[in-house]
This record gives sequence, structure tokens and C-alpha cells, in this order.
Amino acid sequence: MPYRIGFISSATGPGASLGIPERDVARMVRERLVVQRGIIGPDRVRHPVDILIFDDQSSADVAASLARRLIHEERVTILVAGTLSGPSLAMVPIATEGRTPMISMASARSIIEDPATKRMRPWIFKPVPENLHSAQAQADYLRAVGVRRVCHLYENTAYGRDTFDSAQVIFGRANIAIAYSDSFERTATEFPQVARVRASGCPAVVIGSIPPAAALIHVAVRERLPRVRIVHGHGACSPDLIRTAGPAAEGAVMPCGKVLLAAELPPEDPTRAFNLRFVSDYQRFTGGAPISTFAGHAYDALHWSLVALRTLPDGLSLERQREAVREALERKIAPIVGTHGVFRLSPEDHLGFDYRDFLWVTVKGGKFTILPKDQWK
Amino acid sequence: MEVRTTWAHPVIRRQKRAGLGLWTGLVVLLIALILLGREHGFGPADFAQFAVDGLQAGAIYALVGLGFVVVYRVTGVINFAQGGFVMLGPMLTVTFLGQRTTAEALQLLLSILRAVLLTGLVGLLTYGIALRLRRTALPLTRIMITVGVYLILQGAALLIWGPRPQVLPAFTTLSMQDRLLVVGEVVVRAQTLWIWACAVTLLGLLAAFFEFTLLGKAMRACAINRTAARLVGIPADAMAALAFMLAALLGACAGIAVGPVTRPTFDMGLEIGLKGFVAAVMGGLVDIRGSVVGGLILGVVETLWAGVTRAGFRDVIAFLVLILLLLFRPLVPLSEEA
Amino acid sequence: MERPLPALAVFTLLVLLAGGLEVVRPFGRSLAGLTGGLLTLDTLIRTGLLTIVLVGLNLLMGYAGQVSLGQAAFYGMGAFWSAILTVRGPVLGLSPSLVQAWWWPWLVMLLGAALVGTFAYGVGWVILRLRGHYLAMATLGLGITVYILLRENLGLPHLNLTGGFDGVFGIPRLRLGPYPVWPAERYYFLVWLVALLVIALGLRVVDSRVGRALRAIHGAEGAAESVGIPAAAYKAQIFGLSAALAALGGSLYAHFQAAVVPATFGFVPSLELVVMASVGGLRSIWGAPVGALTVLVLGDFVRTWMRGLLPTMAGEVEGILFGFLLILVLLFWPSGIAGRRRAAEVVL
Repeated sequence: MPYRIGFISSATGPGASLGIPERDVARMVRERLVVQRGIIGPDRVRHPVDILIFDDQSSADVAASLARRLIHEERVTILVAGTLSGPSLAMVPIATEGRTPMISMASARSIIEDPATKRMRPWIFKPVPENLHSAQAQADYLRAVGVRRVCHLYENTAYGRDTFDSAQVIFGRANIAIAYSDSFERTATEFPQVARVRASGCPAVVIGSIPPAAALIHVAVRERLPRVRIVHGHGACSPDLIRTAGPAAEGAVMPCGKVLLAAELPPEDPTRAFNLRFVSDYQRFTGGAPISTFAGHAYDALHWSLVALRTLPDGLSLERQREAVREALERKIAPIVGTHGVFRLSPEDHLGFDYRDFLWVTVKGGKFTILPKDQWK
Repeated sequence: MEVRTTWAHPVIRRQKRAGLGLWTGLVVLLIALILLGREHGFGPADFAQFAVDGLQAGAIYALVGLGFVVVYRVTGVINFAQGGFVMLGPMLTVTFLGQRTTAEALQLLLSILRAVLLTGLVGLLTYGIALRLRRTALPLTRIMITVGVYLILQGAALLIWGPRPQVLPAFTTLSMQDRLLVVGEVVVRAQTLWIWACAVTLLGLLAAFFEFTLLGKAMRACAINRTAARLVGIPADAMAALAFMLAALLGACAGIAVGPVTRPTFDMGLEIGLKGFVAAVMGGLVDIRGSVVGGLILGVVETLWAGVTRAGFRDVIAFLVLILLLLFRPLVPLSEEA
Repeated sequence: MERPLPALAVFTLLVLLAGGLEVVRPFGRSLAGLTGGLLTLDTLIRTGLLTIVLVGLNLLMGYAGQVSLGQAAFYGMGAFWSAILTVRGPVLGLSPSLVQAWWWPWLVMLLGAALVGTFAYGVGWVILRLRGHYLAMATLGLGITVYILLRENLGLPHLNLTGGFDGVFGIPRLRLGPYPVWPAERYYFLVWLVALLVIALGLRVVDSRVGRALRAIHGAEGAAESVGIPAAAYKAQIFGLSAALAALGGSLYAHFQAAVVPATFGFVPSLELVVMASVGGLRSIWGAPVGALTVLVLGDFVRTWMRGLLPTMAGEVEGILFGFLLILVLLFWPSGIAGRRRAAEVVL
């Protein structure tokens, strides 16, 4: 009896640069499952696994329609869905009411946690680190190098705003003052905010944005303030940053998912083998496309799904299958090695990520490289 | 290029007063923003920087606006595909350049020429396919058709180039890192000078074209009275097609000039197109000088506004200005024959 | 239309039939199963919501001849109004017991429609002085301004009313006393009850004195005024009505989707509304449901069925197809699918 996984990513629209690598990963896994002829359950019964891949066009409406269709018409056991937070949040009530486990690839905390009750949503999971973790890594670095005042510039989107909110919470606890902060448009070509950064005299600028906007504002800051430290978040750690910022990117620091520097991971790192194999499979499948954290999230989400499906005995009804997967995700699969670290899922934590699993990297010679703690200065 | 009439005419007098009110309003807004900026601790150097940045954006808006004006004057159509032309220019240049981030000057020049010409062809096609077929259609139908063309251009761009932003080398250094000129405390990017030079040159060429060449005068005739122009043997359809091509060329140049600064993407045309449209409306959709001045003012006001208030509201000012403009200039003659 | 009643009766029966099939599930198959995946309950509910908005737009554009390129903004205002007052009520100082009362969302919905309609009526007096292109651009500017305000949390980030880019989620379902109008099969009937009432209202307006006055204004405003028709007043009224209907649709949408984001109400969605109205037929109230259904089903088709044919490109192709569809319809069926075809009449 075949299992079906419903996969929805934003392959077109504003989320396309995130959604396309995710879709490629889904295709890669689907092909691999065909070759392996599915998975084998605990009772040695073989189940083919089909992955149905859809594009929500970065639209919350389309995502909701597709989610309904996949749950009720296509009768999938698991939904791996949501590149962006908006569409993900629109799908949350549908997955919950449809009693189908959903693993999102978007970063907003409110996807897995109900902000009113602060409890985990029972049916929703995600393998995506949050800006809170990024901010914790940033705070560690800033304190280690003795910086107590920063300026924070963030892009005018939900992601950017979330980086700022996280920074306020975490930096506040770490006694780092945010002397000046402002948002900027992703489509801007000019950044008058830089003038005020200069006026405030911060020794470090923290930027909460993803490329290309992150690259543009980085260049603007670097042009006018050649000696200030520039600290990014984990969302900026992508080859696109270096490509679009060019030589100005030298010296930038940021937390980074392990998958992006798989080859540099030390041998004792538990994710090293997993990441190396993923990177080589991905690049072989896509013909050399650069690896990205989004591809990593998609792979983790599908990996969790398959590991959970492997715990299912044969002969369950669809409703029971979905419940069993949910229970497996909460209780049976942790600790599970992933592209970003070792995830420890539990009923109280549907993400299970530790911020210390972030690598701290810098841009040197046009490439990302790990910056070990003893070189922080 | 306006038909001159006596200022004593009541309609013209009302229009003049409204126009005066509008400019006064803009000046007041500028002063308010400057005062607000002083409160935030901005000094003259910061304001100078805003002015420079604003004039850069404004020059682009002016160029894009010119495209709207040219098409509107000759055909009476508001060409929403203009944003698509602005996007095609740099994207095609990147492709012809082989997606390299450094290049020889000659290579860059040739790529730019090819991109501009190809975009001009697309402009011709736009007119040919979409707008010739429905002669009896009302102007708004034809506007909606241009909207359809824009959607096709953007969709095709996504298909061809994907969603990732492209990189165009700066013209001065022929690489990604541009040279900066520091004048006092004001930093001017070398590319900004290119943008201004491009705008001034194209403006001059356009003015000369309309004023001194037979073709240009024929187009002006079409703009003033299409039927009369046809009566004296001017092929109005050909003129309209030419107008579209001109607009495409202008748009492509604007997009290419600003390309190194902004990392061209498949969907960059929508916002630039709308801002350019606002600039054109500031010239009543028919006045080239007005639209250029309007574009520059829009750029400066927008940059100043974004610097002084929350950056997220940057786009609001353009559309608020648009609404106010439309309310105060309702009597600008429309080209009824389309 | 001379005899709207039979058409309305037939249409109502179709609506009931579709909803009934979904509830009864003959052969154990839902509506989608019976139609081979073409028509899902989700699509039909969204068609109903859009019908409510499009009837207003048809009256405005088709009959009164006034262009609106910002109608999605009114849709969004209704949606966010309902969302904020049912989810963020306590932030505004409303008591939690009030916000959780079963009748509260209904009251909010009606109040929202009235407020948005009044706002549009007032604005309409001012901007409907403009003609043709200028009016279109003014509505465009208005629409984008509203969108930006929604996206920017109304400039009040500490109150976090509209939730910025992420919008508002956790919107409660509508209830009648203790009974929720949910799951979706039940909500379908509510949405279509309202949609049918709105269609009936539209048909009534078209056939009334106001409707005839509107057509006169569309045809030749100066002439209409010369026979005593207060054009400005009627235009503003219709603008207000279309906005109120859009807001009503928005509220129902909010309670359906349970999460609203500003991106759903920007410039491109406004364009999509105009496309739907044009495809359906601007000069006919029936153009509203026809246009909405056609565009939605086409979108569904491209997304799901064409995946098999063009696995790598479905989403990108849809963008291009949308543009082609718009151009084709405008070129060859300017009266729309449901519109009446008259020789030299082009209605946009």
C-alpha cells in the first residue's frame, strides 16, 4: 500500500528563490524513492512512497486551496508545505482540522507555536531555525569581541521584522544596546538610513535581511563606513550574498547552517556524513546548483517524513496513519541528524534546534569559511 | 509642445491656478520634510546626500515617464508594458554579456546595444500584435491589453532567467565594485553620473528628434490630431508603432543605466513602471518637460521622505502625490482619438 | 435582463445541487471526485466570495462605466476589519467576553461593510470627478496606499494591528448561537446565500431607476446631466455600494481562510478582479460568477493537471497564461462570456 506525501513550495512569485531549491530537493527524493522502491516498515512490508509536488505561487490563497486538495482529495499522509510564513499560516488551520501532520519549511515561530497559548500546535512541525537562534549566536559573538552598542537595519518584510524583534529580546538580555534601528525596502536602490547609522557612531551594524537586499544594503553601509563591523543573520548565509555584494562582502560575519560548509565540518561533527552525502546527491541531481539552506530545510522535512513513515505498521487506515506519523514525529524519531544540526523533537518542541548548532562564518577571499572562536576579535 | 492659447480663457486660468496650488503644496511638503530632518539631527551634508540619491532615482523615473508620454501623445494609450521594457533592457544585457560580472568596455557596449535594439523590437511587437487588432476598442481596453503584455513579459522573464537577481557590472570600472566620488561629506557613486548623463543625452536626442526631423514632426502631428495627420498622408499606424518602439528604447536605456545599482530581477518592472507613470502624470501625460521635472521632484521627495520617516512608507508618497495631482489637474486635454 | 427570475431560480438550484453533492457524497465521492478533480468545494466557495465582490465591480464598471483598479483594497479592508476586531479586540480595549460572543463577528461584518461603503462614498464624491484614465489611476493610487498601510501595520508597530507582512491569523469561525457554520460544506451555503442575495440585489439595481440613470451616465454623462440626472451623486452611490459589497466579501473571506495577509489585496489582485469581471462580462450581473469561476478553474487546471505535462514549469507558465487570457478575451470577446454581444459595442 503506497504512502503519499504532499509537497507544496513557492516555486514562483516572491518566494521563488527559496522555493525552487526546495522543489528540486523534493524531486530528487522522489526519484530516489522510485529507485529504492519505497521504504520498508517495521514489519518488513515494503511501501512505495509517492511525493506529489505543487507550487503555491507564493500566494496564501493558492496554498490554502492546494492544502485542502491534498488532504481531502489526494489523501496524503503527510503534508510538507510552506516556503513562506504567510502561506504556511494559511495552511495551519487546514492541516489541523484535517488532522494531517504538516512540516513547514518556513521560519516564523507562530507556525508551530500558538502565540495566544504559547503551546505547540499539535499537528505542525518545522526543521527551520529561527531568528531567535540567529540572534543568540550574534549576541555571543558581539559580547566576545566587546561590542556593546549596535545599529540594527532590517528589511521591511515579516522576516526582517522578526530579526529585529528577536534582536531586541536577545540583545536586551545580553546587555547589548540597539542605539539605532530602521527598516529598508527590499527594492530600494538608495539607503538614507546609512546616514543615521553614521550619525549614531555604532561600532557594529547588524543586518536582518536576505539577498539581494542584504547585499545591497551591505554595500551601502560598507561604502560609507569602511571600518564598521557588519553582522548578518543566518538568512543571509548564501552564495547569492557574495555574488551580489561582490568584494564589499569581505569580512562580514554571520551564523550559518552547517549544510553550507559541509566540507569544512570537523570529522567529529555528527552531521558531517549526512551533509556531505546530501550535498553531493543534490549537486549531481541539479547539475551543480549551489547548495542553499532552503534546500537543506526541504531535505530535513522529507527526511523526517520518511523516518516517521518507517515506524508505521502495515494496514493502518489513512486517519490512523496520519495520527501515527504525528506521534512518531513527536516521540519516536528524536534525536535525528539533519542538515542544520541534530534535532531533538518532543511534544513541547516541534523544532528541536539548538542555536549552538550554527556555524559562525566569515567571508574571506570571496568564500564563506568557518571562523573559530579563538579567532574572534 | 503644448498648443498655446490665451491665458485669459477661464478653463486655462483655473488650470493655471490649480497648477500653482500643486507646486506650492510640493514646496511646502519639501520644507516640512527638511524641518523634520533637522529634528532628527540631519545636517546639510545629509540633505545633500539625500538630494543626490533622490536625483538619481528621479532621473530614472523621468526616463521611464518619457516612455509613457511618447506613447500617450501619439496613441492615447497608457502603456503598462513600459515597466516590462525597463526590465528587459538590463536582463538582456546580462545575457548578451554571458552573465559575466567583469567585461571589456567594447563587450559591454555591444551587449547594451543589442539589448536595447531587441527591446525596441519587443515594443514594436507589442503594438503590432496587441493593439492593432482592435481598432474600434475604447482606450481603456487598450490599456488593459498592455497590462496583459506586461504580465506576459514578466512571466517570460521568470521562465527565462529564473527568480534570482542578475548582476550588471558598473560602467566606470567594468566590474562589480563601483568607483565612489567623495565631495565633501557627500558620496556619489560613479554610476549615478552615468545615469544623469544618460538621461540628459536621451532627453536632448528626443527633443531634437521631435523638433528637427521629419519623422519627429510627423509623430507630433499625429499627437495633435490623428485624423488631420492621416489626411495629409502621415501613416498614423506606423507612427504609433514607432512611438511604442521609442518608448521601449527609452525604457531599456533607463533599466540598463540603473541596472548596476539595483541587481535586475524579473519583477523589477512593476514598481519602476508605476513610479515612472506618476512622473509622466506630473506632466499631464503630454508634457515632456513637466514629466522630467516631475520625475526628479518625485525622486527627491521620495528619498527625503524615506530618510526622515519610516522607510516602509516610501511608496505611499508616490501614490499620494499621484492622487493629489489627478485631483488638481483634471482639465489637461486628453487625446480623444485613439 | 427582462426576466431575471427564471435565471436566478435555475442558478440557485445549481448552487444547491453542488453543495448537496458535497454533503451527501454519492458513491462516496466528494464533488471533486465526481467532477474528476475539476471542481472542488474550495473553488466553489472562493467563487462565491468573489461573486460578492464582482457584482459590485460589474455595477461600477459595466453599468456606470467607472473604472476601479483598486477594488482589492476594499476587499482587504473588510477582511482586516473583521480580522482585527475578532482577534486583536482586547488590544483595542474591547472586553474579551464581547469579542467572544457569537454575534460579535456578524455585527463587525455588517459594520465593516457600512463603514467601508461610506468611506468610498465620500472618496467617490471627490475622485469620480475624474474621467477615464485619470479615474483609473486615482483608484490605482488609492488601492496601493491602502495596501501599504495594511502592510506597514498602519504605522503603529507597537499595536501590531494588521500584523505587517504576515498579517493576522487565528480568525475564528462564524457561529450561529452555539452552532459553528463550519466545516467548509456548511460555510459554502452561507457564502452562496449571501452571493445569491447580492446577485438579486444587482439585478434589482440594474432594472431600477438608478440602473437606467447609470447607463445614461455611462453613455454620455453630459447629456444625462442635461436631463436632470445628478451624475455625481449616482456615481458616488454606486462606488460606495461596490466598496461595501467588496468589504462584505472580504469579511466572509477572513472567516473562511482564518488567516489574512496584505499581499492578497495589492495591485495585482485588483487587476485580477478586473480580469475576472471582463472575462465574465461587464454588462451582465451574471458575469460575476461566470468570470470568477472561469478564472479560478483555469488556475486550478494549470496548477494541477498541467503539472503532468510540464512538470518543471507549471507555475511560471500560469503567469504567462494569465496575460494571454486577458489579451485574448479583450480582443475577441470584449463583452465577456456572459455578456450580451452587440455589434459595435465594446464596454470597457
